[in-house]
Amino acid sequence: MAGAIIENMSTKKLVILGVILMLFQAFSFMVGGLIAPSPTAAVSYLATKCVDNEKTHHKNPKWFTPWGPDQCSKIKDFDEAMVKKIEANNIVFAIHIPPPNTEMSTWFQFLLLILHFDIAFKIQNQIADGASITIDVRLAYRDDKLSEWTQMAHSVEQRKLSCNFTAAKTIENEGRLYDCDLLPFMELGSVAHKYYLLNVRLPVNERKKVNIGIGEINDMRLVGIHQNGGFTKVWFAMKTFLTPSVLIIMIWYWKRITQMTRPPVLLEKVIFALGISMTFINIPVEWFSVGFDWTWMLLFGDIRQGIFYAMLLSFWIIFCGEHLMDQTERNRFSVYWKQVIPIVFGSFCLFIFDMCERGVQLKNPFYSIWASDVGTELAMAFIIVAGICACLYFLFLCFMVFQVFRNISGKRSCLPAMTKARRLHYEGLIFRFKFLMLVTLACAAMTVIFFIISQVSEGHWLWGGHTVQVNSAFFTGIYGMWNLYVFALMFLYAPSHKRYGDEQSSADQAGNSGEDTQLTTTITHVDGPTEIYKMTGKEAQE
Amino acid sequence: MPTVSSVTLTGRLLLLLLWAAHLAMATNWLSLARLSRSRPVSGAEPCGRLRGLSPGQVGVCRARGEVMESVRKASEMVIEECQHQFRNRRWNCSTTPRGINVFGRVMNQGTREAAFVHALSSAAVAVAVTRGCSRGELERCGCDRKVRGVSPEGFQWSGCSDNLSYGVAFSQTFVDEPERAKGMSSGRPLMNIHNNEAGRKAILHNMQVECKCHGVSGSCELRTCWKVMPPFRRVGAVLKERFDGATEVRLTRVGSRTALLPRDPQVKPPATRDLVYLAPSPDFCRLDPDNGIPGTAGRRCNGTSRLAPDGCELLCCGPGFRAGRAEVVQRCSCKFSWCCSVRCQQCKNTVLIHTCRE
Repeated sequence: MAGAIIENMSTKKLVILGVILMLFQAFSFMVGGLIAPSPTAAVSYLATKCVDNEKTHHKNPKWFTPWGPDQCSKIKDFDEAMVKKIEANNIVFAIHIPPPNTEMSTWFQFLLLILHFDIAFKIQNQIADGASITIDVRLAYRDDKLSEWTQMAHSVEQRKLSCNFTAAKTIENEGRLYDCDLLPFMELGSVAHKYYLLNVRLPVNERKKVNIGIGEINDMRLVGIHQNGGFTKVWFAMKTFLTPSVLIIMIWYWKRITQMTRPPVLLEKVIFALGISMTFINIPVEWFSVGFDWTWMLLFGDIRQGIFYAMLLSFWIIFCGEHLMDQTERNRFSVYWKQVIPIVFGSFCLFIFDMCERGVQLKNPFYSIWASDVGTELAMAFIIVAGICACLYFLFLCFMVFQVFRNISGKRSCLPAMTKARRLHYEGLIFRFKFLMLVTLACAAMTVIFFIISQVSEGHWLWGGHTVQVNSAFFTGIYGMWNLYVFALMFLYAPSHKRYGDEQSSADQAGNSGEDTQLTTTITHVDGPTEIYKMTGKEAQE
Repeated sequence: MPTVSSVTLTGRLLLLLLWAAHLAMATNWLSLARLSRSRPVSGAEPCGRLRGLSPGQVGVCRARGEVMESVRKASEMVIEECQHQFRNRRWNCSTTPRGINVFGRVMNQGTREAAFVHALSSAAVAVAVTRGCSRGELERCGCDRKVRGVSPEGFQWSGCSDNLSYGVAFSQTFVDEPERAKGMSSGRPLMNIHNNEAGRKAILHNMQVECKCHGVSGSCELRTCWKVMPPFRRVGAVLKERFDGATEVRLTRVGSRTALLPRDPQVKPPATRDLVYLAPSPDFCRLDPDNGIPGTAGRRCNGTSRLAPDGCELLCCGPGFRAGRAEVVQRCSCKFSWCCSVRCQQCKNTVLIHTCRE
């Protein structure tokens, strides 16, 4: 690889650059922690039990509203239904989203609904093994409180009940609730309307065994999860700021490469591709979701993230390979196909899985791949294969890192005997590799640490008089960090324009033929190495 | 002299009536459960006609009428849950035939049973109001807490606070009001307020956190958690355990204030979630209509267990029970669905029944 800026930069400049990047890093954490609210909000809904007395409810469906001026005829509980001789098929569970006096907003980006049934234990009406519940659900919207509801989805879905009764199944414990797992219910990829209405039926058909053996249902509870509007605004602002920043450094980087008299080497191309994928993930296409009802934005975001991660993982492999210093000619992508295949295949599996879940939800928001046995097996297969690919990749990467460090040790013992040009070349390689290794490990560690903190903590800390949103800080901080990583990478690893004297190059042409190809790419400055660089060289000599 | 005697007698009678009226206020709002379901429990004039409410509670009823339907539901929950938790006890939360004192005068005597009912009542109000919020029936709830601005902007910036906070606050306002009206320096109001708070704590300490991962491909990159209220039956079970371990206390002056401290100095002071009582309970064995105690005569009991609380010797207060065979008609071969109608056949069986002797 040609001499990079990082080798020729003075210690003072490198420290200044590091401090500036650290300040930006701290700022990106603080934006999430102090300005933004928590990333998501969860709202609990308890379904209202409406009574549908009409028999012709399948054509031109009537909408049952749980509250408001045109609210439905309700029952408080099912004892009341028994007294009034109301049947299960006349019950409609109605849920209005959002709660009274509030409105949904396009800033919410998505709406995820989770279902939970409160089922009471009765000795004579227990939940059968492997019971499945059939849900006939309609979703409607309107944009002001006086409009008619407009249907936007209708589906008949099945969900497997997974319920546990922790106490003894005796008469004394009748009326206690089963401990049931949460059920995925609905996911909307955009929130384009102000008010949504769900009408849910649990139709009973004894001959077909539909909704028989599901116990005695007391209540239906839903939890609605959406992105907080405040977090969305902060996130969009961050993306809008980062896009030109990375774009500018990308353009500058490409100019540096094209100014060289030689074609770009593989590593330079890969760094540029990494910049492209970072810019692709940065471009704030989400702004369109505020004005347009594009339900695929969530899926599009997933795809962009997948591309970036695949590119980042590939970069690490190629960076290790290009610093192996084992006399093998590389600089070709085909050399790395063994290591890159796990990345591509694993990413492809996750992509297929995402298409099977979120892709299908573009048509049917109530679809869940986990609802059927075949779907569950397919999903598990894709995830397991992706996990195996991840492990393979990790092994390959560790092995290559090990090889690089082993070769560094070997080269270091030979450094004193080399000519000056060759020694500077190898010292440059060693320094470049160690620096990136250190920075990458720091970034990865930071990501893992913050991920663990956000999983364990309640989501916000009280600090002095301020509330710190840990989860928001995690998202903006880590996102900002990887942007700074790519930025620094393109800046520091751009080819340097400082040159050796011509006599140095010509004098070395008589050197070892085995190292000629690597030496011809060496361009270093004789009077500019950093203190770290010098210490590395001195250490090698000792 | 006759004039003096007449004045004294009238004054004493008046004082006695006032005292009785005050004493009777604590849980009289439970009589809302006795109203027919079609009778309104909100609106200025209907509120004034609800005899079980204290003057302060009438004020709450008029000011926040939309919540009163939840309070009525809470009263039904209290009676049902109490009767479930005490189904095997001598005192099984039997209700009086009529009147605003639903459980009788046991509630006015500072007993352990009164402690349980007070705790259960405040918990029921908190639960019922919270559920009313989740159903959207109540307008001011967690979304009305002015989170970074007035709703709906606050909702759109950072969501709502949880509805349970609203339910608990309303329970404090409504259920504690008759006690605060009596002043905080005598033992009974202090006991009731302590037990009311213990009931609300039974909910807060049994909340569960549920989480959902919904990031890229369902990974835990994005995870959202929320709190879930325990079922009311669980709250009842928790308070029943507290009832079994309740602490007898008495009013003690501490500096310039008064506090409830254990009667037995060896016992540690009660925690905020423990139940406390001032007076020992009667044995509930004999019929006592004046105090609303029906006694155990005629109760079914468990003839096969001598140690269970519903064992015949314990329940019947001695050897006064008998066994007899009875032919009972039971439902069998039922066809169930998840709600409402059940179609069964009628089956006859002969069972051995133990009952307490008259």
